[in-house]
Amino acid sequence: MKLVDCARVIRSKNAGPTTLTLDLMFEDDAGFRQALASPSLTPAALAPLYGVPEADVDVVPYAPAFAIKIVLPRKVIAGAPGDRDVYGAQQHGPLLGVEL
Amino acid sequence: MSRPTHLDRLRERLVKDERRAPFLALSGSGQLGNGVLEKAFRAGLARGPHSIGADMGSVDPGPNYLGSGRMAASDTIARQDLALLLEGARAHDIPLLVGSAGTAGARPHLDHTLAMVRDIARERGLHFRLASIAADLPREVVKAAIRRGAVAPIGAIDALTEAEVDGASHLVGQMGIEAFQRALAAGADVVIAGRACDTAVFSAIPAALGYPIGPAMHMAKIIECCSIACMPGGRDAALGTLDDAGFTMESLNPDRHATPLSVAAHSLYEQADPYTVSEPEGMLDVRNARYLALDAHRCRVEGAVWVPAARPSVKIEGASRVGERALLLAGCADPTAIARIKTILPEVEQVVRSIVAGDYRMYFRVYGIDGVVDWPKPPVVPPREVFILGEVIADTADLAKAATTVLKQYLLHHGFPGRVSTAGNVAFPITPPEVQVGTAYRFSAYHVMQVEALEPLFPVTVEDV
Repeated sequence: MKLVDCARVIRSKNAGPTTLTLDLMFEDDAGFRQALASPSLTPAALAPLYGVPEADVDVVPYAPAFAIKIVLPRKVIAGAPGDRDVYGAQQHGPLLGVEL
Repeated sequence: MSRPTHLDRLRERLVKDERRAPFLALSGSGQLGNGVLEKAFRAGLARGPHSIGADMGSVDPGPNYLGSGRMAASDTIARQDLALLLEGARAHDIPLLVGSAGTAGARPHLDHTLAMVRDIARERGLHFRLASIAADLPREVVKAAIRRGAVAPIGAIDALTEAEVDGASHLVGQMGIEAFQRALAAGADVVIAGRACDTAVFSAIPAALGYPIGPAMHMAKIIECCSIACMPGGRDAALGTLDDAGFTMESLNPDRHATPLSVAAHSLYEQADPYTVSEPEGMLDVRNARYLALDAHRCRVEGAVWVPAARPSVKIEGASRVGERALLLAGCADPTAIARIKTILPEVEQVVRSIVAGDYRMYFRVYGIDGVVDWPKPPVVPPREVFILGEVIADTADLAKAATTVLKQYLLHHGFPGRVSTAGNVAFPITPPEVQVGTAYRFSAYHVMQVEALEPLFPVTVEDV
């Protein structure tokens, strides 16, 4: 199943100018548990989608909102020369093709 | 004889025999200056709140505002919002706390906001005690902290150097509740603060009155973005009702509902860690927070814990000038050029550099291919059209213009194998297609500094207007 078909929210935003955070929110606890168990949402699987080392990727489950948070370093500090997305609000695209 | 402060009066009203009556915190705006929705704000005033808070700034919009000293919001809307909140606070004789004045909260932003507040007071005949709190960090203090190893990066940024501290056009620290409490103890009716933690404008008063800091800070974190923590989310004012065990969150727009899921989900928003929030005086831990529906519209939250810090710390933000920026705006609908665009652009850049001498940086974002995301692979199907944003940053505006205009001409007429459209490679949507957009900045500091005491860093100034 594609992530985009089972997640209610797939969004990205800066958590400060040096860090990007991606939130995946699911309809219910079952959807959340299923996604959390998927090998596609591990640091090893996510790192190549964003071109960062595996060790730099954090995956944080957040059960109260049936959510999984992915945390990455920004390759360019927000608003520095060469940046493409100052707020980091459009960096979810690489996740839309993920198969769980 | 001096009159009692708001803290004295609220303590008198709310605290009896070590028990506290519910404290009502009205959140007027999460982005003061971008338009306060008046209906919800007035509905909040009608509930008889004990304080009004509003956040006016953020690091989100990038380094330009901190670097330049300018405000992101327009003066017109910032005045309109400030006037609405000032009149509301004075009509009900409750304290108004505004944090991160003028977007970035450095001296020029604070001065600009204070000038607007004084103007509004004069125009509308309002009289009150105005406190301002500066957030600009003395450079010698930060450099001394670097030397004793008390400054650490936050995320992916280099260690802070003394040269970066000297080079920053502005350098601010995020103040916490302590600074606001000093301003209130000085008798302030209205506090306008430089860079501040988003939470401080809502939690400073209840913390001073003895409400437990964990729930007070958690409430502040939830209501600071107003109704964003609701379903559906929005910008309408929000009300937090705090007591000794927890708090209730509700939107002042009856169509926005604070549900256990929407409020819990807000802990994810713009946070690297959904379970903790670091503040100058300690850390908020919401790992064991419980979210309960009071009804379809209101959510009750309990269980947040406050862990006081052994020694205070301050988040530092600094921005430095990079150079003068010029842009080229161009589109392309030629399939041959689009297929080769990632080769054509560096070729044209080489030609520009052979003509325009000097030190400058050149960047291209090709919308349709990689303008937004640095994709690991090119698109499977090439787009029908692309938009090319060319960017030049040079030490002088003249040099940036020179490189951009030459870029324009040589991109238009660049020859490449298989070229069919020999009269021009790109479409310019406007004339001139090269535009000068002023100074470019970068964040040069985003670090945390351990300090002995917060008070000397955030001086309070009081005046009667």
